[in-house]
Amino acid sequence: MRRTDGELILLWTLPALGVIWISAFLIFPGFVHPMSPTMSAEEVAAFYRDPKNLPRIRYSMILFNWFGVGMIPLLTLLVLQIRRMAHRTPIFSYCLLGCMAAGPTLFLIADLFWLLAAFRPERDPALIQLFNDLAWVTFTSQVPYLIAQSVILALAIYLDRQSRPVFEPWVAHFNLLIAAALVPAAFVGLAMGGAMAWDGLLSFWVKNVAIGLWVVVMGIVLGRAIHRQRAEEGVAA
Amino acid sequence: MTNVASDGSRPRGGDVQSLADEPAEATGYVPGQPDMWAFVLFEAFLFTGYFVVYMVCRIQNPELYLQSQAQLDLRIGTFNTFVLLTSSWSVARCVQSAREGEFRSALTNVFLTILFGFVFLVSKLLEWAHEIGKGFGFSSNEFFSFYYFLTAIHFLHLLIGFIVLGVVVHQLWSPARRSQELVETGATYWHTIDFLWVIIFALLYVMR
Amino acid sequence: MSAAATEAGTLPDAPSGSLLHRIVWHWRHNPKWELWFAWWMMVVFYNLYGVLFFMVTRVQPPPPAWLDASSVVQWFDDRHQGLLVGFAIVFLITGFIVPTNALLAYSMRRMSVSRAFPYSYLVIYSMSAVPGMLLTCVALTVGAMRPDRDPELIHWLYDFAFMAFDGTMGVFLIGSLVWMLAILLDENRVFPKWFAYLNLCNALTEVVVSPAWIFKRGVFAWDGAITWWIDMVVFVIYTTVFITLLRRMIVREDFGTGPLPELRTEEEAAEDARKPSVSMGTAR
Repeated sequence: MRRTDGELILLWTLPALGVIWISAFLIFPGFVHPMSPTMSAEEVAAFYRDPKNLPRIRYSMILFNWFGVGMIPLLTLLVLQIRRMAHRTPIFSYCLLGCMAAGPTLFLIADLFWLLAAFRPERDPALIQLFNDLAWVTFTSQVPYLIAQSVILALAIYLDRQSRPVFEPWVAHFNLLIAAALVPAAFVGLAMGGAMAWDGLLSFWVKNVAIGLWVVVMGIVLGRAIHRQRAEEGVAA
Repeated sequence: MTNVASDGSRPRGGDVQSLADEPAEATGYVPGQPDMWAFVLFEAFLFTGYFVVYMVCRIQNPELYLQSQAQLDLRIGTFNTFVLLTSSWSVARCVQSAREGEFRSALTNVFLTILFGFVFLVSKLLEWAHEIGKGFGFSSNEFFSFYYFLTAIHFLHLLIGFIVLGVVVHQLWSPARRSQELVETGATYWHTIDFLWVIIFALLYVMR
Repeated sequence: MSAAATEAGTLPDAPSGSLLHRIVWHWRHNPKWELWFAWWMMVVFYNLYGVLFFMVTRVQPPPPAWLDASSVVQWFDDRHQGLLVGFAIVFLITGFIVPTNALLAYSMRRMSVSRAFPYSYLVIYSMSAVPGMLLTCVALTVGAMRPDRDPELIHWLYDFAFMAFDGTMGVFLIGSLVWMLAILLDENRVFPKWFAYLNLCNALTEVVVSPAWIFKRGVFAWDGAITWWIDMVVFVIYTTVFITLLRRMIVREDFGTGPLPELRTEEEAAEDARKPSVSMGTAR
């Protein structure tokens, strides 16, 4: 029998992670009203130099730095559930492992750039703007692995042809919707204003809300799958 | 390390009688794994590419190259070549001994090969140290960039060669293994690095 | 492994007809669908990669490493739209390189060697695209987004982009060696041994890229004959070869754990299919 001790504990880290992430999101002064790409270098420098902003920037980014990879144990649980599906090969679980390795790395890099921008605010404004640009572009455009993750998960669910599939079909449809919602954010480079800019409706709000929604929904669905699995295997044991 | 022969018809090294009867003609007989020959061919193409680039750069700047080449010691180069040619001889003797079932002799020869390889290695390191001491490093000038590049990439192949010879030793050591094909494959590789060195020697040291 | 996969990989006769019809049919009936999905993703991705990097953004072949700041600004200017659009598409599709790594890892899993090989390979290559490709795209996008930035900063972004691209040499070096070792030790004959040696060649060309960190001009710079051109030729050959070999592997796949059956001609396969007891993965 597969060892499953500890999975529930890992699962319950999700709400804790959610609280931390949302707090960090709210603490960072550049998110609740997202900073505009059209800000000049002096304005960006002023943002980082503002004594009200600076501690909030640093602490929120430190929080993100600590917990940025917090999703990985949960994604691993998802991979294990994919292994329970009626596939012939582990290809889909390998794909998800691949996505899992790369996605959080990009997030960490964006985090590093923000922290760098805030580290020496007395630096030349053009340099601060550079780091700020790098951070925002990395953060916004880091959707490829999230898109692939959702599409591949959907495919895996569609191919799970057994009497009681691990996840119900609506989870697959949901994932495809999320993937679609993340698509506009890839085009962040093309717009300095409007919906597709990094502070715009599509690239910022739709993207981040979609990610948040995915985390919540998949967390619940994953929890149900794990509980069902434990019940089934508990009966068998 | 086991190896299922790729065409299934080659006997293992322990069967001396059938090996001695094997015809040595080219038809149907390729020493060692044919796959190793594919590798040799590919590496030869690759190195040819590097040599061509070297020649093209040289033609564009003949004086610089001539002057820099004068800084190299032809004697060390010749010694290196001699050592590697001798090592090829010893590895060929190793293959011959293995073919005849004389495994002790084969082992002695492969150890000799390793020894010669080691002599080459030490001599190369000393030569590099000497040139660096004279003030000629990797980025000193174009010729020296090529010198270090070509000798270093060859050196890397030599290091891999030690691993290959290690596999040969491993094969010859125990009667349970002794795949003639693997021994020949290893020897093929070793001959290749010798052959590449001769060309590098000619290009860098001799051709003026 | 998985719950219901007990039958061997037999495939009833595939229909002819329109492409869409055939794709749908395979989705429904082909037991090797996942493998073919991964294979086709790989082929599509590499082709798109070629088009995007060579034609849309025109960042390959790489521009000279010795350009000064004002020339670099000009370079960005010439490619402004192409860079932004091209990399946006890259940001969209990069996730689909993942099935390639999954398929390659699967090939090692099918071998008689330890699972350590596929897992190492998967981890190495999964994280490699981040510094090796995506950071390059981010840097060039940021460079193109603000053309009025200080030219020295744009120059730095240019350096960052191209050196990040070359910076993944260790990945291909170690990854190729892992695959090579797995193939040499494998008793299931998943790949021919010469492909293991080709991996060694590929690994060696990665070592050859390292002078790019030292030279700004000549054959050893990031755009040099040795560090880029010869390297790219080897890489293209290597990639074409492994795509072909992976295709053969999928065709031969019998979902067992022993040696992979050899490729049969259509006559042999038809004869086998007539025998009632033989079941094997037939060609697509």
